[in-house]
Amino acid sequence: MWALPAFAVGLKVVRHRPDKGDVEDLTKEFLAESQEGLERMELCLTQLEKKPDDDELVAEIFRAVHTIKGTTGFLGFGRLEKLAHAGESLLGALRNRNLAVSTGLISGLLELLDGLRNILRTIEATGTEGERTADNDDALIARLAELKAGESVTNDGPTSQNREVGSPVQSSGQDAGQQALPAVASGVAVAAGSSMQDKTLRIDVEVLNRMMNLVGDLVLTRNQILRSTPGAKNFSELARRLDSVTAELRESVMLARMQPVGHLFRKYPRMVRDLAKTCGRLVRIEFEGQETGLDKSLLEAVRDPLTHAVRNAVDHGIEPAHERVMAGKPLEGVVRLRAFHHSGYVVIEVIDDGAGISTERLLLKAIERGLVTPEQAEAMTQREALQLVFVAGFSTAQEVTSISGRGVGLDVVRSNVEKVGGSVELESQLGSGTTLRMRVPLTLAIIPALVVRSGGESFALPQNSLVELVYVPRHEAEQAVERMGTTELYRLRESLLPLVWLDQLLGLERSANAERNDFYIAVVESEGRRFGLVVDDLKAPEEIVVKPLSTVLREIGVFSGATVLGNGTLALILDVAATGARAGVRPLAEDEIVMNVKPADDETAQIELENSMVIYETGEHRSSQGGDDGRMAMPLSAVERIESVPLSKIEYAGGRPVLQYRGELLPLEDDGNVLRALAEDEATASASDAQKNGATATVLICLRPEANGARRVGMVVRRVLDVSAGRLLDADAAASEEQLVMVKDRVTTVHREFAQQAGKPRTAILKEVA
Amino acid sequence: MRSPEVKEADAGDAVPVCSLRVGTALFGIETRQIREVLGTAEPQRVPLAPEYIAGVLSYRGEVLTTVSFRALLGLEKWDGANCVLVFDDAENEERFGLMVDGVVGVIAVQQDALEANPSGLDARSQELFDGAYKLPAGLMVRLDPQRLRPSRLAESGLFGSESGSHGRLK
Repeated sequence: MWALPAFAVGLKVVRHRPDKGDVEDLTKEFLAESQEGLERMELCLTQLEKKPDDDELVAEIFRAVHTIKGTTGFLGFGRLEKLAHAGESLLGALRNRNLAVSTGLISGLLELLDGLRNILRTIEATGTEGERTADNDDALIARLAELKAGESVTNDGPTSQNREVGSPVQSSGQDAGQQALPAVASGVAVAAGSSMQDKTLRIDVEVLNRMMNLVGDLVLTRNQILRSTPGAKNFSELARRLDSVTAELRESVMLARMQPVGHLFRKYPRMVRDLAKTCGRLVRIEFEGQETGLDKSLLEAVRDPLTHAVRNAVDHGIEPAHERVMAGKPLEGVVRLRAFHHSGYVVIEVIDDGAGISTERLLLKAIERGLVTPEQAEAMTQREALQLVFVAGFSTAQEVTSISGRGVGLDVVRSNVEKVGGSVELESQLGSGTTLRMRVPLTLAIIPALVVRSGGESFALPQNSLVELVYVPRHEAEQAVERMGTTELYRLRESLLPLVWLDQLLGLERSANAERNDFYIAVVESEGRRFGLVVDDLKAPEEIVVKPLSTVLREIGVFSGATVLGNGTLALILDVAATGARAGVRPLAEDEIVMNVKPADDETAQIELENSMVIYETGEHRSSQGGDDGRMAMPLSAVERIESVPLSKIEYAGGRPVLQYRGELLPLEDDGNVLRALAEDEATASASDAQKNGATATVLICLRPEANGARRVGMVVRRVLDVSAGRLLDADAAASEEQLVMVKDRVTTVHREFAQQAGKPRTAILKEVA
Repeated sequence: MRSPEVKEADAGDAVPVCSLRVGTALFGIETRQIREVLGTAEPQRVPLAPEYIAGVLSYRGEVLTTVSFRALLGLEKWDGANCVLVFDDAENEERFGLMVDGVVGVIAVQQDALEANPSGLDARSQELFDGAYKLPAGLMVRLDPQRLRPSRLAESGLFGSESGSHGRLK
């Protein structure tokens, strides 16, 4: 190995700091954040003077000051906190429309801004906020208080007329609902602004050493390749080495980007301790899954939301000790941070064992604030009611404390997480605690995608919008596409799917014999649009690295990015929703054709399941029961499982085949003499190929109704052909005693003993068993 | 394609200019404005893109939007060798490529040989060209890469928005 000792030794000096350094870290972070916030505030203040009715601006300014106040609380900068608190009270009055914007108010707020800036500067320079008598904010605080008191009386300033229109007192419930929207939107705007911070990354020295070693190896290999010629003996070996070094290097860089969530958690123990002290609670923080890796950029994105959530959990979640004793809980409350991977997402939960959220109080508050009408509140489910906490400016805290309780927070939490493609949920059990669950994608830059070919070019189709793939062979291509007006449709399990030919949409050349060729339909769904994207061919699914496109190409609107494929060529990434929109596919809610056939709710879905049939082939074509080709149907509701059983596992009792299945003896029904046929096949096969494993029989594990309930039997079949929705035919039409079913336009006989179960839900059958 | 070679600058205020060939005409771009000259490249075509976009290239891990200078001049697409020059878009901090037929070489040009666009030029040429160098052998049209930025071309609206017949020609 080609190590670099000089570097390695040099790097080892850099170790990450012990925990006591975290306070300094926090302060540094706080200073950077606050400065950014104040810059935004300055901009907003000047804008507010021109547009006094803009609620978003007020909310933004409020948030900047609130963030400073909230953070100083536990960093222990009392002077800053005092000033920020005074400012916040004034801004709170402004936000609740008890105040009108005036020049005096704006200059007062600008003075506040300067005051805050001065203190921040002192902290940055000296580490303290300055204790000398000259450093006194009393005059400013008094002025802010005066502004608040004075202006609230004279509420009929020049701007108040506009304000009254939207004031909660006068507006009806519906208006209030709409009114909440711009406030939520403002949260998104803030989130977009703050995402640029923190461009540094802390990497384990070991990882960096490894990367350096790999780069060294890479350089060495390159040197050797430069000296070598393609014909040389060791050339292929060098190429192989280059390949492996490159792969390893890429992997280690990716790994370096993945940071354990524990990095985020590190600052919480101290924060929680200080917070708990401030609020007079006993709180312990616990972690789980700290090693869960998350891309650096995403880690940054969830940092603020998570801090908000933890702060909320301590301040609002955990009750004071005496209340906990009364409720029979341990004195010390627990806030648990839990991170884990779940189906391509990282889930971070903030769980507290506090009082939980009272939906009743939530709704009362919402009605009081005019967010919902009493009637609406009546109709809300618990889950819907809990969603109210995500509305901007909504808080159930009974008193405003120095940490939180002004209702900023959860709306920002949600918008920040959604911005990176995640989601937030809240679960709460009154009396036993609240869980806030954030779901964040693993990485922004790499997504699983399916590479498709159309018009001679490759395109990447993100897997998350892909529902299923349908192959249409050449001989069916003509009939498969049906037309309604100009719209081309495909019948997918009896529902009509609008088709979009990718090559036509993009204006690509079609190969001359396109109509005669087979094609694939990628059934995609995004933003409520569901359609079939017709492509020529499918390539392997790949994990693709998303690269942004230039503005000009983004403006086309159909492509969300580009990626370099495994073979080195570029492929454009399709924006599925935009593609559908361009092709004129309307979102489902508006589309009546699709609505009619799509199950509208669970009930219809249930019915569909009841009519689903397992189509199988019985053993012999001359079987007494099957049709000419041995096709039979069995209601899916009667089938528990489809098992593949080795012949050697099948035993005979009294000449009848039985199977030991999950601890019970399962009688096997072999109407088509499949077992005998298989045994014969095996006998001939084993002579020629003795090493092959024994043949297997396919067994449908079914529930058969009998006089005294139902019992489990195994039906031996040749093979299972399909599982598909079928339509039961009337007995008259069938003109025989057999129950017939129409599956994919073919009449198929339903197995006699199970015919009566067709159309019955599984639960009904299970009841019979019991 | 000949590799670019620098001739000795013979005067104090001479600047090195990279001379390019498109069709039969000669164009010049100051070398300090060029980030890199790539050899023949085959950009991946982007459906529905404006006509003057030759396609996208993978360049240093980025997706490089490449402008076809032939298309800008209204010339037919050409299947022969080409050459892609890489520039930095000062405004959007985005790189872009310019596809020309070939790089002829680098010559030192006296600054006083440059003359601004004459008034008689049509709107498109007025937009694309940035004066001309009066060389002994003939005129060499000066190009300013910043005028050829894809975003600026799109804003000007002079060069068509969607690929027409040109993009489909072999």
